[in-house]
Amino acid sequence: MAKDSQQLNQFNPFRSRDLKRRALIFAILLALSVIVVIPYVWMLSNSFKTTVETLTDPMHMIPQDPTLAGYKKVLTGSPFFKWLGNSCFVTGINTIVILFTSSITGYLFAQFRFRGKQFLFAMLMFTMMVPAQVTMITTFILIDNIGLYNSVWALIIPSFVNVFGIYLCKQYCEEIPKELIESARIDGAGNFRIYTQIVLPQIRPALGALAIFTFLEYWNDYLNPLIYLSSTDNMTLPLALSYFSTQHSTNLSATLAAAALIMIPAAIVFIIFQKQFIKGLALTGMK
Amino acid sequence: MTSEYNRKFILLVLIPIFIEAVIFLVIPILGTIGISFTDYNPIAHRMDFTGLANFKNLAGDADFIIALKNTLIFTVVAVTLNIIISLTVATMISALRSNKTRSFFRMIAFLPCIAPMVASAVVWGRSILNTKIGLINQIIEKLGGKGIAWTGDARFVMISVIVFTLWADLGYNIILFCAGIDGIPNEFYEAAVLDGTTSWQKFRHVTLPLLGRTTTFVVLMTLISYFQMFAQFSVLLYKDGPQHSGLVLTSYIYKTAFVYKNMGYAAAISFVLFLLILVVSLVQQRFNKVDWEY
Repeated sequence: MAKDSQQLNQFNPFRSRDLKRRALIFAILLALSVIVVIPYVWMLSNSFKTTVETLTDPMHMIPQDPTLAGYKKVLTGSPFFKWLGNSCFVTGINTIVILFTSSITGYLFAQFRFRGKQFLFAMLMFTMMVPAQVTMITTFILIDNIGLYNSVWALIIPSFVNVFGIYLCKQYCEEIPKELIESARIDGAGNFRIYTQIVLPQIRPALGALAIFTFLEYWNDYLNPLIYLSSTDNMTLPLALSYFSTQHSTNLSATLAAAALIMIPAAIVFIIFQKQFIKGLALTGMK
Repeated sequence: MTSEYNRKFILLVLIPIFIEAVIFLVIPILGTIGISFTDYNPIAHRMDFTGLANFKNLAGDADFIIALKNTLIFTVVAVTLNIIISLTVATMISALRSNKTRSFFRMIAFLPCIAPMVASAVVWGRSILNTKIGLINQIIEKLGGKGIAWTGDARFVMISVIVFTLWADLGYNIILFCAGIDGIPNEFYEAAVLDGTTSWQKFRHVTLPLLGRTTTFVVLMTLISYFQMFAQFSVLLYKDGPQHSGLVLTSYIYKTAFVYKNMGYAAAISFVLFLLILVVSLVQQRFNKVDWEY
């Protein structure tokens, strides 16, 4: 790996030895990075300001009279931990279920022959073309009729089949050598055992990427919670934040403290695992 | 293993998946198509077959025309800028020599994508684009200029939303383009080096064509997702912005279906959005047919 990238450096003209040009590129990227990071810094800075300061003298990067009042307002004046719990619950269940259903269905489509396989797969692929705005109207009517309106289950139950996940896992399952599965079968392993012992380890990169995508999709989802959840206590974080922001439209520091509480932990987790994260994301573009 | 055993396994997996897919993927699609031919409104207890009336009404609906226009403008401008900037930044990142620096810039680029778009939009709306106390206007005023109502002036609404969207969403494509550039085999560049070409020529004649497959994928995915953008319009703008300058199709579908409960009409609008996405996908794939391998 190290040797490969060494070679790449030698021949890729964009990693030219021309020091001046690389310095210029570095400077431009650094300037762009500052633009990317400023909203975060500004959010943190304002979240520690007093309401008076945000209204009368908002330009200081360092709060003149730092206070935790904004954070206190969020943590004690709103069901923040309830919201966090709802988000974790929905995202956790959906991610685990989708990883399971996608991998086992992908394995089935890749390694088994059965009647109607082509038709079924084509049907699934077609549904991927249809935007959520089309399906959400009838899904809402269904959910409402089975009594799940205003329940976090409304965000979970319709999500169990993820077509993108099935597609991704199928691509990876097709690359598992047939001999590997055959020899396990000769050794007497059943299908489920082959799935857990051979298939899952073999498609780990796909599962990693899928986990990231599923996590981001449900953790950040706004439209579905907006449609299905009506009471404050049942909200997930993005919807709750937009609600909180409207409720506290004059309290900038509390609103930004709430935003910071949502954004910063995820940002830290990402920074720690960024290598795996970015590798996983890049992978989905290749297939 | 007997085929009987395999059959059991196949059915055990397939039946639940099939049931879920039919209930929550197939029925909703067919259902919405069906509803679009009715005047279904659960509040008004209406459910009559009205044929193509909803689709005919769309042509004379000023709000729909605005929403369609805004969606197209937003998508075309934002996707074009997104692709140009993310490709440029990815090329620049890949031009750096140190692995550590490259992954540092990739990490920074992706940082905004981790946050829920709603959270970023709240931060931008309240503390950056805000007319009175927002960072941008504060800077403009410090420099002696006059502050602009970024989200309250119809002329600036779309610009503000597009700039915000690019900040929040460029990271994905930068990562994908970086991976694409790093995946180009070295021989192509070796040949270019021997030919003594300039770096623009290398970009134009080596990187760009060999990135064809990545570009096709990225453009299509970005187009599809930008046609459906909703969160930032909903959070940044007050009631779709002045004179509906920020009304897009998804907001209009949401409002019609879930605020006014005119589900029949909303179904018809959503069907138009579907057709739009379908046509653009087909056209895009036709134009971007890549018929070589490396």
